[in-house]
Amino acid sequence: MRSPASLAYAPGLGTIVPIMGAQESSRKASQSVGSALFGKTQRALLALFFVRPEESFYLRQIVRLAGVGQGAAQRELSAWVDSGLLVRSRRGQQVYYQANRDSPVFGELKALAVKTAGIADVLREAITKFRDRITLAFVHGSVAEQTEKAGSDVDMVVVGDVTFGDIAAALQPAQDSIGREVNPSVYSEKEFRKKLRASHPFLKNVVGKPKIFLIGDERQLKRLGA
Amino acid sequence: MADRDLRDRAAKGLSEDWQLAIAYNAALQCATAALAACGYRSSREAHHYRVIQSLALTIGADAKLVSRLDAFRKKRNIGDYERSGLVSEKEAEEIAMLARQLRKDVENWLRKNHSHLI
Repeated sequence: MRSPASLAYAPGLGTIVPIMGAQESSRKASQSVGSALFGKTQRALLALFFVRPEESFYLRQIVRLAGVGQGAAQRELSAWVDSGLLVRSRRGQQVYYQANRDSPVFGELKALAVKTAGIADVLREAITKFRDRITLAFVHGSVAEQTEKAGSDVDMVVVGDVTFGDIAAALQPAQDSIGREVNPSVYSEKEFRKKLRASHPFLKNVVGKPKIFLIGDERQLKRLGA
Repeated sequence: MADRDLRDRAAKGLSEDWQLAIAYNAALQCATAALAACGYRSSREAHHYRVIQSLALTIGADAKLVSRLDAFRKKRNIGDYERSGLVSEKEAEEIAMLARQLRKDVENWLRKNHSHLI
């Protein structure tokens, strides 16, 4: 297992623009949720603080890692601390900021961060070139259940007309940017349906638990027989 | 020995987990054979990762083959009770093809460079 990078957010990926003309509404998204809801600085800070909430950062670090302007960062940080989203502490001469676990919306923000600006975004982007051939792709396991530890792997299921080799190769650079190993399981639609119908233990376990969808959604999963 | 493993895998009814294990072992043995032919002996603790990477240096395997085999090594590492049955038919077939391909490659290479060993 690789040691986690100090930052799970990968700046520079920007908005994910999927292949236009996809038929199903579940495959179409002309704008990422993160960029629809939040401004650039907010999105970056959400990712930085809530994908890795056990870490604290000082201003210059934040500016560098999140790729935001200092002025904008300071304004946001101040507001976030005032509203209880972040805690500010002092260590020697440095002021550190960290996600506030006691915030009543901590869990929700963490989930939002992972789904829109963190691991899920990076993985979705990594496999987007196969989008036309993938019916369904989702993250499951500890990351989806938000019980992941620093060294946890990311477990992923992909259903479609792609090879394990292709997916593994596409995920290589993504693993580097999120600092975790990604373990894909790749199924053809036929096999996936068959195994679901037969109540295959591994799949049965997976579909019943929390998932973070990268391609497709719960409805698509039901269509496949879940 | 790799031959026997590959034939075993073809036996119907073997679960995909087992198919992966067998094909992967066969591939590893081919890689180890290539190392041995070059005069290297991998110690017991030799990480599978290193043996796989060595293919680039022994038979001149291309980076794509090496990284695909390494992806299967990772997959192989994940077996535990909670996760049994996570190898798909598609993956089992892929690793089998890869193992067969590797066997051919190593054999060709041996024939060319170390023909006295065959």
